Amino acid sequence: MALLDIKGISKIYGSVKALQNIDLAVEQGEWLSIMGPSGSGKTTMMNIIGCMDKPTDGKVILDGIDISAESARNLTAIRRDKIGLIFQQFHLISYLTALENIMVAQYYHSMPDEKEALQALDRVGLLERAKHLPSQLSGGEQQRVCIARALINYPMLVLADEPTGNLDEVNEGIVMDIFRQLHSEGSTVVVVTHDPEVAEEAQRTVILEHGRIARITYNVGRESRKGE
Amino acid sequence: MTKRSMYIKMITSSLIRRRSRMFVALLAVAVGATILSGLVTVYYDIPRQMRQEFRSYGANFILVSASGETISEESAAAALGCIPEDKVVGTAPYRYETVKINEQPFMAAGTELSEARKASPYWFVSGEWPERDGSVLIGQEVADVIKLLPGNSFTMTGTDLAGESFSRDFRVSGIVQTGGTEEAFIFMSLADFASVIGENGAFDVVECSISASQAELETIAARVTEIAEDVAPRLVTRVTRSEGAVLTKLQALVFLVTAVVLLLTMICVATTMMAVVAERRKEIGLKKALGAPDKSIITEFLGEGLLLGCLGGALGSALGFGFAQIIGVNVFSRAVQFPAALAPATLIASVLITGLACLIPVRSATYVDPAIVLRGE
Ligand SMILES: Nc1ncnc2c1ncn2[C@@H]1O[C@H](COP(=O)(O)OP(=O)(O)OP(=O)(O)O)[C@@H](O)[C@H]1O
Ligand SMILES: [Mg+2]
Repeated sequence: MALLDIKGISKIYGSVKALQNIDLAVEQGEWLSIMGPSGSGKTTMMNIIGCMDKPTDGKVILDGIDISAESARNLTAIRRDKIGLIFQQFHLISYLTALENIMVAQYYHSMPDEKEALQALDRVGLLERAKHLPSQLSGGEQQRVCIARALINYPMLVLADEPTGNLDEVNEGIVMDIFRQLHSEGSTVVVVTHDPEVAEEAQRTVILEHGRIARITYNVGRESRKGE
Repeated sequence: MTKRSMYIKMITSSLIRRRSRMFVALLAVAVGATILSGLVTVYYDIPRQMRQEFRSYGANFILVSASGETISEESAAAALGCIPEDKVVGTAPYRYETVKINEQPFMAAGTELSEARKASPYWFVSGEWPERDGSVLIGQEVADVIKLLPGNSFTMTGTDLAGESFSRDFRVSGIVQTGGTEEAFIFMSLADFASVIGENGAFDVVECSISASQAELETIAARVTEIAEDVAPRLVTRVTRSEGAVLTKLQALVFLVTAVVLLLTMICVATTMMAVVAERRKEIGLKKALGAPDKSIITEFLGEGLLLGCLGGALGSALGFGFAQIIGVNVFSRAVQFPAALAPATLIASVLITGLACLIPVRSATYVDPAIVLRGE
């Protein structure tokens, strides 16, 4: 069974049909990209998959649970346990250090564990910046803290909306390296992007247009690069 | 690290590292707490202050003879023994006799001048209070009739107790204005009085100024009647009654002002917290996106609010003490007493008020939609 199974979902905001009759399944361990022009419904879809919004119609099965039928309170718990979120704007808490920002995710999930949080920082190469506030970090560094925070509770699904949208090429490279490593470790990753190069890294790219899936491409090129 | 220490870390960091906004709320709480503790101090100290203030309007307890004659020195001493020493402001015994100056009759009063001065602090003396034998205070009326100034001398004539006439020179050390009958009197020490009139071991009246409530005065009066049968105690009720009325009104005013200030503090804290919640929508959305339940959002915001209330309350208790002193010195011209229990009470009140003020803003924090973190407003 697929980790994520989207069955005929639609999302309607008043007169705007943000999503129309989408069917999509994501397997455990898959790396999926979502592309599409602005306003095509990418973020809307991420919100629904990420248990922050519900579809107007259709079903979303995540790890065997129909999240389109759960209460807001249960969705919070599912989000906490199963989802890791990475944002274009990083969303670090300004008054907490890099380390504390990661520990906040542990705090809501279970128990703050400084050692583990430091390991997560080490993994994204920011161990020596643990005590720095977000304002003392560059955009790329902030994004790496955001990624470390998203991964700290071992989510079964990592969702990233434009993770490289605010980064330069160097930092984009660093972030993509982390994604590649995540994927090789077996994580399931869904990445929304405008950047074809970023999208190409995934096994599959879903292209949305006007709230519908316009086409799906399989990125064979990536498999060949992997061997290099 | 435990959950609790992480929680404390989060709320203290929020207060310490994002100073500006919270500083306004802190200031509001501190000002509220200052006014609260300051005015409550004054509220409780007003009766004490006012009693002393009203005492400056003269004697409020007078001993006269029950039989209409004189009070013996022993009876007077016994009666005065009934008054608790710490409440006595002054007790002045008086002997009166008619004397003549330039063949015009006046009333001479012999008293303990230093006590009279304490018991009647409102007397306005131009010149000096007498310090040597042979020096006297004369009332303004006497001074007007005889045309005397401080430093002048005059001759007093009359008849002593033995029926023999006397004549003696006195020096005017001061002229007294009281706005009352005292202005027709000549005040001298008991020794001077005895030297011309003679000694009889008795007083006509004893005027006492006592710092006590109406009820306490009544108790003292009852005891005096019991112990010294030939003494009749009189309460000067005119002053005591108005004292009570003024006190009640003053306290009501202080109470009202305090209530209004607390309400304003609450409104200020509530609006500040509202603004804080609005300002931190992103952060709240993020916490919810990370899986924070409403309960966590509430406890974090409330925690920050209550911590703020604590700090503001502590600051306010300290400032309130100073505030009360300033009021005391400027309004009553003396230091006020700060009730010790007021500091913790102010702290608790501040925490309660900020807690109350935070309820609505905190509630609105739970309505923030986690989806905003992806929308990137
Ligand atoms: N809360 C909302 N209320 C009304 N309309 C909305 C709301 N959220 C999204 N929409 C509309 O739904 C459509 C899809 O929006 P969405 O944010 O999913 O687009 P997107 O593909 O993420 O675009 P972009 O690349 O610019 O981020 C848009 O037309 C948007 O205006
Ligand atoms: Mg978007």
